[in-house]
Amino acid sequence: MSRFFLMGLLMLILGPTATGVAQAADGEKLFQFYCAQCHGTEGKGDGPNVTGDFPVDPRNFTETAEMNKLSDADIRNVIIDGGPIADKSPMMPPWGKTLNDDEVEALVQHLRQLCNCTGKAG
Amino acid sequence: MKTLASTFLGLMLVAMATVVAIARADAAAGKEVFQGSDCQSCHYTQGPATEKSIDDQLAKKGPELWYAGSKFQGPWLQAWLQDPQPIRPMKFNSVMEPNPGGHPALSADQAGPVTDYLMSLTSDAVKAGTVKVKKKNLKGRLIFIKKMPCSGCHQFPTKKKFSGGLSGPSLVGAGQRLNPDWVLAYLQQPKVFKPVKMMPVFVGLLSDKDMKNVAAHVATFK
Ligand code: HEC
Ligand code: HEC
Ligand code: HEC
Repeated sequence: MSRFFLMGLLMLILGPTATGVAQAADGEKLFQFYCAQCHGTEGKGDGPNVTGDFPVDPRNFTETAEMNKLSDADIRNVIIDGGPIADKSPMMPPWGKTLNDDEVEALVQHLRQLCNCTGKAG
Repeated sequence: MKTLASTFLGLMLVAMATVVAIARADAAAGKEVFQGSDCQSCHYTQGPATEKSIDDQLAKKGPELWYAGSKFQGPWLQAWLQDPQPIRPMKFNSVMEPNPGGHPALSADQAGPVTDYLMSLTSDAVKAGTVKVKKKNLKGRLIFIKKMPCSGCHQFPTKKKFSGGLSGPSLVGAGQRLNPDWVLAYLQQPKVFKPVKMMPVFVGLLSDKDMKNVAAHVATFK
């Protein structure tokens, strides 16, 4: 009986990776592909698009104090609808038509790792 | 008189058929050059697009060419194949490394047929004549530099020289390089051409009219 239970547990853990389905969205990979071009590979706001012509500095995600002012919902909204939803620059693109909910969530979590902060509640 | 006219007409038809046949023969010759020059090791020419994930997109060594005939303007393509200067400021599929250049070049003899071949690769998703190009499109300009972040990722010409971000292909000279109807189709049907890319999807954010205006504005880039 307990052996079956263990096997089941193992399958639950290994199943998704082994079969390739139901893979969780990979926040780091998404970040490097979509966001690093402006926010930089380490999230410091220094991607290759930030030349002298760039009108505003993309947020540096390693600034803990600044990032702590944002709730997860604030971050999520800006990712989905772009800068203007939070009275920020339209240079921050709207990604809501590009990314699905899981991918947006994975990115929110990834930004939390970069800032090493949990943000304000809400 | 009547026979003369019909002889003339007949001759015209023969001439036209020959032109078409030569173009076809050139496309076939171009395909051979393409296949014999290792171009396929970096470019696929068989649609539809199969990329499903970021990994698929990053595995490619060069842009897909299966809709090259809908995307490019023939004269630009023929010249570029002989003198392939960088289009993307950054190395293909790299965020941080600059484009090292050095794309393989073709001789003038090869570039003509290869252009005919590549121009024969078209996509039904592109409808000819939908974008009306004028000298200026101020609505499109406003979208490009202000309402949307296009200029954050693409270089474009300005009065000084050029301006803009580096992660996307440079749009300097896009008026000579790209077919405006393809630019519209690219915005309207992003999944057809590039299912996974670093550029955001604008469907539902820009109206059809906005997309036409911005495509017409891109077509003014010298
Ligand atoms: C075209 C460049 C560009 C890209 C690509 C980009 N951003 Fe931004 N982002 C910006 C700019 C510029 C700002 C700052 C806007 C301002 O301060 O007005 C910003 C700000 C932000 C903010 C902070 C908003 C605030 O209230 O401080 C978040 C969160 C964010 N971006 C997330 C992302 C994520 C996640 C991605 C990838 C999916 C991404 N960005 C891709 C340019 C970009
Ligand atoms: C080693 C890989 C490689 C080989 C071999 C190669 N290409 Fe390319 N090709 C690329 C890359 C990378 C780019 C993008 C260059 C740029 O943006 O400056 C490109 C761009 C192009 C473009 C423009 C496509 C676009 O969407 O911008 C055409 C057309 C093209 N190549 C044709 C050819 C032909 C014809 C050959 C064979 C003679 C060939 N290529 C061989 C890698 C390759
Ligand atoms: C976050 C960066 C980003 C933004 C914002 C962006 N693009 Fe792009 N764009 C790209 C990238 C990267 C590519 C190349 C995609 C690929 O080939 O994988 C591209 C490709 C293109 C192309 C095709 C060029 C070619 O030679 O293949 C056109 C045209 C274009 N974008 C127009 C626009 C317009 C118009 C807007 C604004 C409505 C816009 N882009 C916004 C990054 C961006």
